[in-house]
Amino acid sequence: MTQQSPILRVIARFALPLTMLVAIRIFFQGHDLPGGGFIAGVLLAAAGATYLLAFGVTRAARFRWWKVSVVGLLISVGNGVVPLLRGEAYMDNHFIDAGPIHLPTATFFDLGVMLIVVGTLMTIFVELSLERR
Amino acid sequence: MQPMLPLAVLAPFAAAAAVLLVGRRAPRAHGVLVLIAAVASFIALARIPAGDAVPHFTLPWMPAIDVAFALRGDPFGLFLALLVAGVGAFVALYAIPYMQVEDPVAQRRFFAALAAFMGSMLGIALADDLILLFVFWELTSITSFLLIGFRFADDRAKAGAVLALQVTALGGLAMSVGFLLVGQVTGTFSLSAIAGDRELVARLLASPLAAPALVLVLLGAFTKSAQVPFHFWLPRAMVAPTPVSAYLHAATMVKAGVFLLARMLPLFEGSPLWAPLLTTVGTATMTYGAWRAFRETDLKAILAYTTASTLGLITLLYGLEAPDQDALQILSHALYKGALFLVVGIVEHRVHTRDIRQLGGLARELPWAFAACILGALSMAGIPPLLGFLAKESFYSELLLNPAIGPLLARGVVLTAAVAANALLAAVAARLVVAIFLGPPSAVVASHLGAAARHRDVPPLWISPLALGSGALALGLLGLTTFTDELAAGASSRARARLHLSLVPALGLPLYLTLVTLVLATVVYWKRDRFVALQHQLTFGPSADAHWESMVALVGRIGDAFSARWQNGSLRWYLTLILVAVPALAGYALVTLGLSYRAISGSLADMPWYGFLLCVLLAVATLTAVRATTRLQAAIATTTIGFVVSMLFVVYRSPDILLTQILIETVSTIFVLLVLIFLPPFPRHDLSRSGRMVNAAIAAVFSFAITVLMLLSMTPGLREPDNISTRPGGLLSLSLAEGGGANAVNVIIVDIRAMDTNGEITVLVVVGLCIYGLLRTRREAT
Repeated sequence: MTQQSPILRVIARFALPLTMLVAIRIFFQGHDLPGGGFIAGVLLAAAGATYLLAFGVTRAARFRWWKVSVVGLLISVGNGVVPLLRGEAYMDNHFIDAGPIHLPTATFFDLGVMLIVVGTLMTIFVELSLERR
Repeated sequence: MQPMLPLAVLAPFAAAAAVLLVGRRAPRAHGVLVLIAAVASFIALARIPAGDAVPHFTLPWMPAIDVAFALRGDPFGLFLALLVAGVGAFVALYAIPYMQVEDPVAQRRFFAALAAFMGSMLGIALADDLILLFVFWELTSITSFLLIGFRFADDRAKAGAVLALQVTALGGLAMSVGFLLVGQVTGTFSLSAIAGDRELVARLLASPLAAPALVLVLLGAFTKSAQVPFHFWLPRAMVAPTPVSAYLHAATMVKAGVFLLARMLPLFEGSPLWAPLLTTVGTATMTYGAWRAFRETDLKAILAYTTASTLGLITLLYGLEAPDQDALQILSHALYKGALFLVVGIVEHRVHTRDIRQLGGLARELPWAFAACILGALSMAGIPPLLGFLAKESFYSELLLNPAIGPLLARGVVLTAAVAANALLAAVAARLVVAIFLGPPSAVVASHLGAAARHRDVPPLWISPLALGSGALALGLLGLTTFTDELAAGASSRARARLHLSLVPALGLPLYLTLVTLVLATVVYWKRDRFVALQHQLTFGPSADAHWESMVALVGRIGDAFSARWQNGSLRWYLTLILVAVPALAGYALVTLGLSYRAISGSLADMPWYGFLLCVLLAVATLTAVRATTRLQAAIATTTIGFVVSMLFVVYRSPDILLTQILIETVSTIFVLLVLIFLPPFPRHDLSRSGRMVNAAIAAVFSFAITVLMLLSMTPGLREPDNISTRPGGLLSLSLAEGGGANAVNVIIVDIRAMDTNGEITVLVVVGLCIYGLLRTRREAT
């Protein structure tokens, strides 16, 4: 995969930011409409795969993707531990109300899920692309 | 609430953390930290005021199942805790110079594990909750594994550590099941609550679960205290550094087993199994340990077998339901055996061997160690005025007077065994002193004597053993007053225990038995070479650890055979299993529910024309996949199937699943393309005709079963199980009320069932890391 098609590159240039925007939108609408962390994560991973195919694996492999998934796990578990420290049950949900923002703390858990999905899928993509016969 | 109890237990754990944090920058501080923690725990426990009320400390831990972080300082528990902290302080003091030759990283590991062990052991002594007791119990197994395997580069150390962990952890697991049974029957895990309630004890004994519970708990106690037939791990654990052997395998950890017996005595003494099991195992261990000890040549193995012997003696006492003198026996043994082990450490440090045949004439070179060894050996032999004498007198009079022993024959057997064991122990004691210290220096000793002694700037090694030995002497001399008697009786696990200890022996049978013991010991020692030859003639059959190892190997072979049959790596075989199991289980469920495909009420009336078109496409794609001749063809066809299926979700208007399905299809297509070039050629026609027919039949049955299941799931009566309904309490209503979201699927994933998701994402992360590690390391290796 050393020679990438220029068409793919041009498309990827435009598609990537769009896909990311859509992923963010899908992530936040997940509470009430179809979407959520898992789907947003898979979408981002698909975007990442496009990037990988368009610009080559060496550029994609410069980043240690597994770190993303580890950070995601820390966020998810941390979100569960916070209520524990306040003497409530692990993973207890709360609502954060600050002005116009109305956010369930489960959103942070979902954010962790998203990062884990992106990180793990990208790790697998990159590592498989780096394999040589 | 007595805050000193948790403080005493936590101090060593804090020291362990501190040792790890201080790091390699201050290697000197490690041992000192452990020493401070031991002294602090000792002072904290000693400052608990004596009174009528038993000090206790309780924090709720898992209140839903009535498990508490409950500590209780009854006299016997406090006694063991003080012993653990006190001997711990001496061992730490000894270990500072002893471990100085090791490199700082190893020292840090050693002292951290030693401190954590001390904390766990204090936890066992003070725990009042069975579950808490089990947790501390397992912690001692793990920390002792780390300590025995301290020199893990050495294969023998590794094997010894693994063996000790296997035996004690297996016993611990059995014990935990026994505890659960006790909790099940009595409804509480609190030891004092059960033991203090006659009705609960009666209910426990009347239950059919009493016998299994007792046997399981005893397995835990016997494995930990190295009782026959689980004695073999203890000599093998002697590869540990000597301070560890002295602390874990003489003074404290092996005492946990007999301590558990003391805790269980009020619960199970009415059981018909208690006395026979304990007296048999105790007598056997007492005799066998002493017998083996005389034959060994490695100093630490000798001491290990004598330890097993004394633990057998204590087990026997519990079997006779005579716990009055348990504190006396434990204290006496801890003092002299700790001293002897530490002396062996000094000898090994000086001349680099533990083989008793190569030693001799060290008295002039190591005068203080010689003094400590004499004190320890005299106490072990039971010679006045040491504490060991009082312990042995007391043991003999118990055997002579105890009403529980029963017929004259049984009393005769137990008495003979006791005299024989004690005579052998006395002969071993004589052998230790003479062979190590007296006579002219042996060749090995002489070759080391020229070298200058090391460690000028640290406390000398002999302080701790001499202190322990002097303790045995002092307590023995105090037998002239009533002090030792009151101390041992007050610390006993039986309330208002009665002992009649006196250094001035009364004329009577116990004294005569002591004389017989000493005469026998003299004879055995005099004719020691012929006696050892006789022992070797009487040895036959494979040893106990050989049996154990063949059992462990058997487990491995069963595992191998199982995976060779069921996990043979053939994807086709796995698929066959799944495709057969799913219809079978589903069919069974449907039959027991009384459902058949006739209940299906679906119709195709609301299917639009493009829906049918999609189904035709689906059929074509599926046939293409089946008939594909290359992997690429098959991959494209299956991808097509996935996308057409997701189009069907458009027809049935479920955008949620549609979105997921399309994205998953995209990602899996990328996967397939990435791995396609690594796959071997497409093996299409390697199956016989009949094999293909069987596969076709399995596929047909499977798809029929899945179709029926899916259609049935849309049938009224099955469609809306209670827990997913919009009714109050159902998941759909919970979603809005508690999660505040209208997308029930997502709210279930991230909020209501967040624990499940938590597990799944953890697996996902681990899988990612594994793939990264596996592929990276393989690439970098080539």
